[in-house]
Amino acid sequence: MKRDATVIVVVVLVIAGMLIAGKHLTKPQTAGASISGSNKAIKGQPAPDFQLMDLDGNTVRLADLRGKAVLLNFWATWCPPCKIEMPWFVDLQKQYGPQGLQIVGVAMDEGNAHDAVAKFAKEMGLNYAVLLGNDRVADQYGGVDALPTTYYIGRDGKIVSRVFGLVSHGEIEDNIRAALKQGPAMAQASTATTAAR
Amino acid sequence: MRFLIAALWLTLIPAFAQDPGLLENSKPKATQRVTTAPIAPVAVHAGSSKQVELPFRVALGYHINSHKPTSELLIPTVLSVSPPTDISVAKLTYPAGEDRTFPFSPDEKLNVYTGDFALTALVRAAPTTPPGRYRVHGTLKYQACDDRACYPPGKLPVAFDVRVTKAAKTGRTRRNPAQSPHVHQ
Repeated sequence: MKRDATVIVVVVLVIAGMLIAGKHLTKPQTAGASISGSNKAIKGQPAPDFQLMDLDGNTVRLADLRGKAVLLNFWATWCPPCKIEMPWFVDLQKQYGPQGLQIVGVAMDEGNAHDAVAKFAKEMGLNYAVLLGNDRVADQYGGVDALPTTYYIGRDGKIVSRVFGLVSHGEIEDNIRAALKQGPAMAQASTATTAAR
Repeated sequence: MRFLIAALWLTLIPAFAQDPGLLENSKPKATQRVTTAPIAPVAVHAGSSKQVELPFRVALGYHINSHKPTSELLIPTVLSVSPPTDISVAKLTYPAGEDRTFPFSPDEKLNVYTGDFALTALVRAAPTTPPGRYRVHGTLKYQACDDRACYPPGKLPVAFDVRVTKAAKTGRTRRNPAQSPHVHQ
């Protein structure tokens, strides 16, 4: 009886140890890893770095925007709620850009969607960076199962918050202000201006 | 023994408390937004055809674009089928969608399917089809949204059986002689 109990204790201790160790080992310690988990769990984690092409064929790297607050918006041309936010983003980029905000839209249309995305961006008059997403960046950001999904990233490159779905203009603005407050205001990264078009 | 159980709990609780992600995840759960019900086997004679109804259900709170959405940017609902040799599926008919507005597009009507809807198709067995059971596979491609968000295009496997029987005798077959009227009244 006593021996059985000891065995159970040992097994449970090993399982608990594996759970803790596993989570620590998989937690992104660097900006190149991926994130997953609840909003609370991801807050403060480094935003996974990525390199994606913009509509002009330039490579844009998230890490190059360090020092700016980033609104990272995953969207698609077939997503009507995403379309609602876009005029707001255009205004917010104008309003908060001088304070260090960079809005980055990542289009998650499948296949060779460059032309469709470019046409859509032009029709919507987007004045911020539009990148062509892929499965890899989706995996890095937890799968991106709902669109729009928006990450607010502080000037220090750490995640401030994440929002699934369409929310109000006021909520978006509150999140932008919070992102602008997080991390030291650094000199504007030179590449950031090339991303904003 | 009680002491041991208490010790186990004290060991496990901090493991979960340390990272709430172990217990909860606020990411939207990947749910099955469109489902289909089992389809009864379609009995058809070799050389003839029969209509089949393919029922689908959009989960409560979701909608999917109809087969003819209001914008070319929207992804239509499309069923593709791959029947076995000797069986053909034609005249695929989609129901008309419902024009609806949503909180995210109060000024723009979208043509969508919600709740239950059904497609119909004509299943035909070639005259030379040997009697037997044949399985038709298909895939319903759709793109679902709810009131706040949209979800990546989904694929729902669909399958139904076609039971082929011997061709019905038609044409110049010998008719039975007329029978007395009192026999079948």
